[in-house]
Amino acid sequence: MKKILAMTLAVSMVLGLTACGGSGSSSSTETTAAATEAATEAATEAAAETETEAAAEATGDKVPLNVIISQYGNNTQEWWDGVFVPGFAEAHPEVDLTVEIVSWNDLYTVVANRITNNDAPDILNIDTFADYVADDLLMPAEDYTSDELKAKIIPSFWNANELDGTVWALPILASVRSLFYNKDILEAAGVENPPTTWDEVKDACAKIKAYNPDITPWSLDVSSDEGQAAFGYYTWNNGGGFVDESGNWALNSDANVESLNFIKEMVDAGYCFADPMNATRYPQQDAFNAGSLAMMIGPCNMISADSDVNYGVAPMPTNGGNSPVAFGVCDRLMAFKDDSAPDQDARTAAISAFFDYFYDQEVYSEYMVYEGFLPVTSDSSEYLPENAEKFNKCEANGGTPGENDYFATWCGMLADCDFYPASRAEWIDVKQGVIDAEQQVLEGADAKEVLDALQEDIAG
Amino acid sequence: MKKSAFKKIEPYIWMLPSIILMVTMIAVPVFTVFKLSVSDISRSGVVKGFSGLENFQSIFASAKFWHTLQNTLVWTVVVVGMSTLLGFIIAMVLNQNFACRKIVRAIVVFPWATSLIIQSIVWKYIITADFGSLNVILKKLGIISRNINWTPNAAAYFAWECWIGIFVTIPFVTFCVLSGLQSIDDTYYEAADIDGASFWQKLYRITLPLLRPNLTVSTVLNIIYVFNSFPIIWTITKGDPADKTHTLATYLYKLAFTNGRMGQAAAVSVVGFVILCFCAGIYMILSLRAEKEEQ
Repeated sequence: MKKILAMTLAVSMVLGLTACGGSGSSSSTETTAAATEAATEAATEAAAETETEAAAEATGDKVPLNVIISQYGNNTQEWWDGVFVPGFAEAHPEVDLTVEIVSWNDLYTVVANRITNNDAPDILNIDTFADYVADDLLMPAEDYTSDELKAKIIPSFWNANELDGTVWALPILASVRSLFYNKDILEAAGVENPPTTWDEVKDACAKIKAYNPDITPWSLDVSSDEGQAAFGYYTWNNGGGFVDESGNWALNSDANVESLNFIKEMVDAGYCFADPMNATRYPQQDAFNAGSLAMMIGPCNMISADSDVNYGVAPMPTNGGNSPVAFGVCDRLMAFKDDSAPDQDARTAAISAFFDYFYDQEVYSEYMVYEGFLPVTSDSSEYLPENAEKFNKCEANGGTPGENDYFATWCGMLADCDFYPASRAEWIDVKQGVIDAEQQVLEGADAKEVLDALQEDIAG
Repeated sequence: MKKSAFKKIEPYIWMLPSIILMVTMIAVPVFTVFKLSVSDISRSGVVKGFSGLENFQSIFASAKFWHTLQNTLVWTVVVVGMSTLLGFIIAMVLNQNFACRKIVRAIVVFPWATSLIIQSIVWKYIITADFGSLNVILKKLGIISRNINWTPNAAAYFAWECWIGIFVTIPFVTFCVLSGLQSIDDTYYEAADIDGASFWQKLYRITLPLLRPNLTVSTVLNIIYVFNSFPIIWTITKGDPADKTHTLATYLYKLAFTNGRMGQAAAVSVVGFVILCFCAGIYMILSLRAEKEEQ
């Protein structure tokens, strides 16, 4: 009897301490479960409210539209709350718009919890969509995209969201990555031109290291934050990549193995920061902006407003005589199904209204200047290179007027970019897998063996 | 007769509010985790039905899980063991009379009173090879001329994480032990002094036996806290490089919210729960046995 009592007390103690212990996330699944319970209740209440709104809708009340937008910078919330929502409310008084800004760190957690609790947002801004398609959660983009909007989205971006013959999402914005270099450092180190090949990269790094050992010559981020980008930078510019010409996964190609070995060579030679497995892109951007990093492959908006670095931009260095491939990143907007909505037509109309308003040339162009990203619509791509100065950047980017040259330069590069194969169902596993492979190689594993294992795991 | 019956149920009446609270706020969510661990959950979070032990089979077949389990045991034993030893020594020192004793006691509390996230971020900035303050200070003092990489591999990272865990856990042990030391009657030591007992004899024959309840409580609580600790490892490495510095708490978080494998994450959570139940069960049985012996 006492043993039973002892065990009961023990279990109670563990239950109590695991639920309350240590940290906010120490027992994350339990926490999630608790959140799940709470959210279930909330969802039940929300469902009841929806029914109420349905009744109200019949009498002419507003259509609720819940939108989750990813946080792209410190001022994202300000633009949506201060510019977009009031403007949309004035243009579409029939829609009750709620915009929730969620940081990328929390985005996947928030969305997964909401879907688990049947409380998916109406519109979501995220980077992938294949898993939602697999669970039949998304509306086809054709259902809510007006002809005018479809006509102005750049075709390559429209097609990039196709899966099994259907387009499931709209591109929200794009970014291009290329080689940034510090002109003053390269000149002082005796490097006449920015490197165009991997051999030239190594040569330039050696010269910079000899010139000033306190300057880090090259940037590399193979952290779990964005290690998949490094995989893209090097494999694409070595004739490899995530997939082959037929679109099949080709993670263990010879070119990819060579690329991982090149990464290791750069780290072992001391040309990169000491810990590329934990140093994310952001402190490295800060280092470039402060003049203590000589060369970095980074996004078009990486130069901070207060940086006085004399920098230049060059194509990606390549290997084996391959042509340089610019690296593009594109996030998406997608609309979720909601079978409980009382008036599906009104809901779809509200979603269409949202997209039409967002991609309006003036509104969308303003957002692109504000965040420093590149437009994915043809009208804004033509408009911004001549009119960016009409709009202001966000406070974090200096709050100054946009620069026409910036958009003229980078919008021109968008057409030749390669993008992640993010519409594929296996992408999340591939993304984690290539990061893991890079880190294993830096820890001393054989690149060929690691990539063979990954290919086997992904493609079978 | 009636009075006797009431006496029998009286303790349970007093326990009832706690039991209700635990059932609604703790047992139900934990039951949900058990349910999720035997469910097929899609990557987007949709629960698709019962999947039996598939999630458990998947995690047991993964080498990463076993490495993580090994890490978790090392992490728990090292952090709890070292913090208990160091905390005990510090408590013995703080129990002596010396100038500024109150100030020193307040300083010892600092690591415990500060958020684990903040402490982890601070330590991360201290040890970072390229931007870290440790290298900057050593360079300014002329001790080193080039930055030293304090975290050249996964093992080094894990060792630093263990040290940070020890550092933040010491105050709790210190104050548990200190409270016990202050409750020990001086007459025991005076009698031992008269009998000519040495420092070690007094330590083993008086101090440690009388501190046993305090040490037991602090050790068991620490095992549970440290086993489940998340912020230090997540802030410093997120389990990298190549998932070699995970403990179960960070591993299940990554499985759930980075890899989108909620079912497997729930299964890992259940495994951790069972291990903790086993540890706490041993503690409870030993405690009850000790009480019985004392009676």
